[in-house]
Order: sequence, then C-alpha cells, then structure tokens
Amino acid sequence: MWGHDPRLDCDRMSALVEVEGLSKSFGRVRALNEVSFSVDKGEVLGFLGPNGAGKTTTIRILLGLLHGDGGTAKIGGHDCWTDHALASRFFGATLEQPGFYGFLSGRDNLRQFARMLGSVDEKQITELLDLVGMTERADDKVKRYSMGMRQRLALAQALLGTPRLLVLDEPTNGLDPNGIHGLRILLRNLATEQGLTIFFSSHLLSEVEELCDRVVVLHRGEVKASGPLSELMNIKGFRYRIDVSDVDKALEIVHGVDGARAEQGTIKDSINVTADHDIARQINHVLVSAGVGVDQLVRTEQGLEDVYIQLTGVPVASPLSSPAAPQ
Amino acid sequence: MLGALFLLIAGGLYIYYVHLESRWTPQAPVAWQSQLRDQIASNQEEIANLEQVKQQSRGGTIRVGGRGGADLTVDQAIAQAKQAISDDQYLIDNNIAPVQSFAIAQASLFALGGIVMFLLIRIFGWLASEQIAGERSDRTITILLSRPPSRNQVLFAKALSSFLISLAVVVVTLLIIYAMFTFWFGSPGSLTDQAAVAIDGAKPLGPGNLLQMPIYLFVGMCLGAAMLGVMCVQGMSMLISVLTGRWAAIGITLAFLFGAPLVSTVVAGILFLISGSQDSSHFLKYLFFNVLAPVGSVAPTFGNTTATAGSGLNEFVSEVETLAVWTLGFFLAAWLLFRRKQEAG
Repeated sequence: MWGHDPRLDCDRMSALVEVEGLSKSFGRVRALNEVSFSVDKGEVLGFLGPNGAGKTTTIRILLGLLHGDGGTAKIGGHDCWTDHALASRFFGATLEQPGFYGFLSGRDNLRQFARMLGSVDEKQITELLDLVGMTERADDKVKRYSMGMRQRLALAQALLGTPRLLVLDEPTNGLDPNGIHGLRILLRNLATEQGLTIFFSSHLLSEVEELCDRVVVLHRGEVKASGPLSELMNIKGFRYRIDVSDVDKALEIVHGVDGARAEQGTIKDSINVTADHDIARQINHVLVSAGVGVDQLVRTEQGLEDVYIQLTGVPVASPLSSPAAPQ
Repeated sequence: MLGALFLLIAGGLYIYYVHLESRWTPQAPVAWQSQLRDQIASNQEEIANLEQVKQQSRGGTIRVGGRGGADLTVDQAIAQAKQAISDDQYLIDNNIAPVQSFAIAQASLFALGGIVMFLLIRIFGWLASEQIAGERSDRTITILLSRPPSRNQVLFAKALSSFLISLAVVVVTLLIIYAMFTFWFGSPGSLTDQAAVAIDGAKPLGPGNLLQMPIYLFVGMCLGAAMLGVMCVQGMSMLISVLTGRWAAIGITLAFLFGAPLVSTVVAGILFLISGSQDSSHFLKYLFFNVLAPVGSVAPTFGNTTATAGSGLNEFVSEVETLAVWTLGFFLAAWLLFRRKQEAG
C-alpha cells in the first residue's frame, strides 16, 4: 500500500527501530541519558520502567513529537525528527490517555485520521472496528466512550494503513481484565500471524512477561538492562527463600555479604535473597555460624518482577491502584 | 438556526423601516445628481445659519462641532461647508458619481469596514486561536503530528481552512447587507459604472484628488482589504495557538483584540492632551489592531461627509501595507515556532 518508494523498503533491515545515545533534558531535568536500544523486525519488545523513567519521552521522540538533544532515533532507517514524513510511514501509535474528537463518532474519528494516510478505505475502518470489538458503539460520539473504549479505538487508529510497527504507550490503561486479556491475544496474533513488530511500554509486568520476546528496562533516563526475557531473568542470579528464626538479624547479616541482595519475605519469618549458587551456600553457613536458625533454604523461580525490582529499586505498583502518571 | 436568526433580524429591520418611512415598499431610486444637489442646498442653508450665529456673537469665539468630530470655530465651519459645496459641484459638473451612489458600494463600506467587520474579525480570531491549541488540549495533536503530513502541511491546512470559512462568512454577510441596501435604495444599482473615491479626504476634490474605478473593482478592493484584516488576526491567533492550550489561546486572543484598541485609544487621548495635536498619536496607526478594517478609511466623497483628515485612498493603502507586514510577520513566526515546537504532553 506504500507504493514502490524504495525509501520505505525495509526488507534488508534487521532492526526497524534504532535508538543510539539518545539524550533529552527538560530544563535542568535529564529525562534521557545516552539511551540505546533497537527493535528487530517481527519482534515484540517491552519497554519497562517506573513512572518518570523516560519511557513516554522516548516514545514521543520516536513519534516525532519531541526531538532529542543528542543521539539518534530512527525508524525504518529514517530519522524520526528530520525525516519524519518517511519514518511515520512505518508505524502506527497510541499514547497513554489517547485523544479523539469528542463530537465525532468513533468511526468518523477513524475516517478523519485515515485521510492523513491517504489510502485507507472504508472496508479497513470497518474491519479494524470489528477487530478491537467496537462495532456496536462505532457510531456513538466518542465523548460518551469509557477510557477502555478509547483505548480500543486508539488501537484501531494505530492499525490504520496496516503499519509494520506498532508503538503502544501503556495500552492497557483503563482496560478491565477482559479487555487486557483480549488485547494480549490481539497483540500476540498481530505479531505471529501478521509479522507485526510491536514496541510497547507497560507497567503490567505480567503482560510484558507473556507477550514480549525482549525487554528494555529504563530507570531515571538510563537503560538498566535489555535483552531476551530468558537471559534477563537469569543474569542477576537465582532467587532463594530462607526461613529463619530472626528476620532482622538475618537481613543485617546477608546485607554484609558481597553479591547478595536481601529483603523481607512475604511469608512470615522468611527473607528473600538473590544471589549466585555459591554465595547462597555461603549465606547459609554465615547465618548458622551467627546463631540464626535456618529452617529451610528454597530456590524459587525468579520472575520479571524480581528483575525489575533489582534493577530499578522500585516496587511494582498494583495494576488496580496505579493511575497513569505523567512522565 | 442561523437562518431563523437572520429572518428575525431582517423582519425587525423591515418593521423599523416601515415605522420610519411610513411605507411598506421601497422608495423610488434617486439619481446621484439629485442627492448631491440636495446636499448642496443643505450646506448653503448651514452656511446661512452659521453666518447668523457669527453676527450674533459680535466678534466672540464660538466653537461648533465640525465634520469628523473636531471642534471648529464658526469661520472654520463655514469654510468646511463651502468646501463641501465646491466638491459636490465638481462632481456634478464632471459627471463623476461618488462611490456611495451605488447600493453594492455602500454595502461594502458598511459590511467590510464598520461594526460588522469589527465583530466578525474577533469571532474569526477566536476560531483560529483554537486551531492548533484545541488539538493540543484534546490530545489529538499527538496523532496529527505523528502521521505523515509534515508540520508545514498541518499549519498550512489549518490556516487555509480558517481563511476559507471566514471568506465564505464575509461574502454571505456582504450579500445580505447588499440585499438590505438594495431595498433601501429602491434598486440594486449598477455593478459596472465608474465610481469616484477621494485620494486624500482632507483635501478639496479635483483632478489630482479623485480616483475613478469600476464598481466591481471597488467591491473587490474592499473585500480584499477586509480579508487581509481577517488574515492578520488569524495569523496572530495561529501564533498564540501554536504556543498554548485551548482556553489560554482563546483568552489571550480575545483579551488582546478587545483590550489593545481600548488601551491604544487611551494612549492617543493622553498624547492629545499633552501635545494638543492629533498627529502625535499617528504612530498608533502602525499597530495592526488599529487598522484591522482599512475599508473604513476609504473617504466618502459626498459633500456632507468629506474633509476628514486621515481618510482617503492614501490612508487606505497605508493601512493595507501595515496589515500586510504584520500578517506576514505573524504567519512567519507561527511557522518558525510550530516546526520546532516540542509536544511534551
């Protein structure tokens, strides 16, 4: 549908998104500091980080809404700011709290945005409305839509023109559990069946864990880790639960052991420790030597949540109580 | 709804006409020569009255209200009336129709240079101020700017759509007022005859101070100047719109469009009190908000309404030039800012 413009040809590219040394400041606040990552063609990449980490700033730069102070951000080999007209041909995007013309219906909003792409027909609009489950309410005015419905319409908007890359900023905001489940299935289908490349930020780690091939963890404007999920979950050692007789004393002792990281466990009289296998043995020995009773030491499965907490030091907020905060 | 409102206004005006003229139908058209002769007779009568006042004053200084609102001595008022008679006689002798003789020209002066344009310009400014700022407030700007059309195209499309809508409204307004004047004149009048406009309203009419042009050209000139005023305000509004959100943009635009002329009038008044001369505040004419409707400066050439300083085609052209410079500046600034504007959300 893009014609035969060779500048829009990405068959030979491996990475559809390339971010290199990207920096951005707002006044004295350093929002991004030398951020680098890439999104390969056909992969689903999760963009993680606490509020204020710089996720939305990065996405806004990719969309051509902001330009970086240093470094480059390219989509399809085209600079997102200086070559925006070409870069924007590759992606469809939604930002958190999507905006629409409230006085128009959902269908008319899509028609309006489709005009900017030039070659979207009515059939595709109808199909997309059906795809996101908005057919029944498509002709209602958007001002009567709930947040979840707006999110679904935003996804339809992003899919207009059959883009090769989907950039989604907190797409599950405002969706109920059914909506989140539906979105997960939809994104997985888009990635597997249509080969769509998806780059999305989310604070719902379970979503990222289930959907993504790779993740990039951003904290205070810097990339803390990036790579395939399987590697990321092992790279920081194993996770152990140790049932002890004196939690406070045990924590004090483990904090003094190099290469170990400890926190109070969620189970009574237990601590959670992240450490390599050898160090875990050493911890057991040290605790017993110091007179702390060790009832059991169990190796547990390390999840993305644990990695996230280790990398950012920020506890994961509950999805039920975390409103989207501006970044 | 707009149609109903128009019918209501038209009905009210018609009732007013019937009450004022005590007749249901339009009056018969009057030839412009007859109108001028009536003006001459009126001025002669005024001179006789002024002479009488002068004799009764026995050399004392009496001031009377002159044309254009200035206070004049009796001698100055007599001289002005004599000049008006001379001007009218010149037009009759040379068979030159003053521009107000034609319904369409009169409608142009009223619709494009008076209170109607004053209000329309402010409404257009308000609407234009929402063009970008409204998208920002509705957060649709993120979609707009992340899609393939460039920022230049977005700004151009916004400016063009604002202009075309305002042009349609102005043309319809002009046609409605033309219909009203047609009724008032008793005839739609000619569109192709030649009409005369003073070049300098303060000087006597004569071969060097009168420009003749076809009526349709005069109407086109007025429409062009009026739309330049609209464009200037839209440029200013766009500039504000590029920088702020919806309510800030509307507030700043309307506060400026209503407040600035008011402040300017106060400044002109203070300067007049200090210097005693109207010329001291002439520089205010270079501020765009004081010249938004240049059509108001086209000097009428009827005897009774001539001789107003700061009117005429020269003034009209000067105001159009001022507007053109400001318009260009506003759009240039809006363009430069918008293409670099960061949308941080």
